[in-house]
Amino acid sequence: MRISRYKRCAASSLALAGVLTLRAQNFTQRGYLETRLQAYPQAAPGDSGRALADALFRYEAAYKPNTAWRFAGVFDAQTDTHRQVERRWNLSWQDRTVPDPAFSVRRLSAAYSRGGLTVEAGKQFIRWGKADLLNPTDRFAPRDYLRVVDNDFLAVTAARLLYERGADTMDLVYVPRFTPSRIPLLGQRWVVLPDSIPAGVEIRDLGSRFPGGPQFGARWNHVGSGFEYSACFYQGFQHLPLLDARAVSLRPPRAEFQRLYPDLRLYGGDVALPLTWFVVKAEAAWFTTSSTQADEYVQYVIQLERTRGEWFFVGGYAGEAVTNRRSPFDFAPDRGFARAFLFHAGYNLDTNRSLSFESSVRQNGDGLWMRWQYSHALGQHWRATAGFNWIRGGAEDFLGQYRRNSHATLAFRYSF
Amino acid sequence: MNRLSLSLCAAAAISSLSAQDARQIAEEAQRRTRASSQRYEGTLTVTNKAGKTAEKRWQYERFGSHGSSKTVLRFTAPAEVKGVALLVVNHADRASDQWMWTPALQRERRIALQDRSTRFFGTDFSFEDLEERDVDQYDYKMLGEEAIDGAPCWRIEWRPKQTKRSQYTHAVVWIRKDNYALAKVESFTKDQLARRLHFRDIRNVQGIWTAHLLDMEDLRRASRTILKFETLQYNLPLKDENFTLQALRRE
Repeated sequence: MRISRYKRCAASSLALAGVLTLRAQNFTQRGYLETRLQAYPQAAPGDSGRALADALFRYEAAYKPNTAWRFAGVFDAQTDTHRQVERRWNLSWQDRTVPDPAFSVRRLSAAYSRGGLTVEAGKQFIRWGKADLLNPTDRFAPRDYLRVVDNDFLAVTAARLLYERGADTMDLVYVPRFTPSRIPLLGQRWVVLPDSIPAGVEIRDLGSRFPGGPQFGARWNHVGSGFEYSACFYQGFQHLPLLDARAVSLRPPRAEFQRLYPDLRLYGGDVALPLTWFVVKAEAAWFTTSSTQADEYVQYVIQLERTRGEWFFVGGYAGEAVTNRRSPFDFAPDRGFARAFLFHAGYNLDTNRSLSFESSVRQNGDGLWMRWQYSHALGQHWRATAGFNWIRGGAEDFLGQYRRNSHATLAFRYSF
Repeated sequence: MNRLSLSLCAAAAISSLSAQDARQIAEEAQRRTRASSQRYEGTLTVTNKAGKTAEKRWQYERFGSHGSSKTVLRFTAPAEVKGVALLVVNHADRASDQWMWTPALQRERRIALQDRSTRFFGTDFSFEDLEERDVDQYDYKMLGEEAIDGAPCWRIEWRPKQTKRSQYTHAVVWIRKDNYALAKVESFTKDQLARRLHFRDIRNVQGIWTAHLLDMEDLRRASRTILKFETLQYNLPLKDENFTLQALRRE
């Protein structure tokens, strides 16, 4: 039987359209454009700016050519009024810049799954731990701490192997190249210099001394009947820096500092146990190091969680016991939120509107951080969020040092 | 005395018989929905007390049959909840295990038993409503007969057994006599009607009578969610490995 050229062409077109439709179904994308305004009632030493604005465009795409493979990518573009974002056109992969990069690959990874095995390679997010308020075991999760209390996770370049068999999962992670947490910028309000440093001292940032060598981690998780627990081990580097500071001249007075990232070994575990009234979650880790400048310590969190009606509550305590004190000069917000009572509550007013409240209260009363937020979805794409961060405390306390940084925020997000 | 004993025995026998009938009807209703897997895309329209509406879409996949099935439900719209997913692992002898995956946090969270009366993502379905109702987890009582949408139905009380923890003290279920499809479920908390679920647009799909529109009313909040099924299919070649915590993380 002869088939006309026209019919062959139509059949080919239909087949192609079918393939394209099938492929389109395996491609998903989403993203948002968010603009944020921040207003600080008080000026800070070294930073008189009281109003900041920033904008972030985030685009996420994923493609599954078949059931075994999955490719995922996230791209960020951002800018701001306060020079916390670079004014350069280059694309950042490693997230090692001191300010935020204007353009960055937030995630780009390929994953292969077969049976209970998943192997993922590339830039990816790896989250460990079960607690919500603070995660001592979450070691492959550096953060962008430029604005300390409004922080975001950074991905790491890693190879990850997950093997799930029945109720048990083994998670092995290898990170060939270190990704640090980003810390507040010198000369901006989230860097608070000690009172012992007189005004007028010129301080130079000598950059970072990044460690060579890989990081490795292993975690075993067991899901029981109504409860879960895990144990983990990590060998690598602290993603929060020690600050190696020194005076270099008296006239004119000048000092300089460099960021160092000490090696770190961690033994940890976590558990989630639903009881009659609350879910109890606990997480603990013992941090050891060969560095003579970094502390060794145990950090733990215990929290109670409950959702009822339109409410959810999470409340608990984050504690710390130093096993080897070396009094480092560092930037360590994870430790800064320890030895404190932590609380998070939320209430859904209706389908589109919600309220939330977060707080951290130092056990000795020297530091306090509270955040109230109201969020309102407008139609299918828009969301407006208004909030206020209130920070109080003494100059020696991690939270208290930011007492001039209480601020109001207003954000508009268009999601697509 | 003898007459009284006889009456009591007769009443007990009739009660036992009607309980047996009610259970058999429930079993038959469950048997007729048996499929190795199911997939649909659903559009949810939530209308609150003030008449404001919000629309969401999700994709639902179920693997396995009653008593041991697993489901994954993943939001596809609106944009800000796209990717949020729920994994439900049902068990014949106890309450299901549930985990919710939130892409923005890159973490899954176990939904505790006591939290399952909470509304699921702003809809009028609670987490518990998303579990399957296995016949072995309830005791039954025949309440009578009543027509729903013109179709004659059995009216049966379902009461969770001691082993099943539920926000509802009992439910009254209407099952159609012609095809054993569920027509309506009224769920009670301490004898107060809490939710009413109406099954509409019942059609035969691959031999299974299936409602294509679920109308859920939360009577305490005076809000309503309408779930419309699209592209519903049964007995697809799905794989067990796509219904695990690992798979939940793979959006």
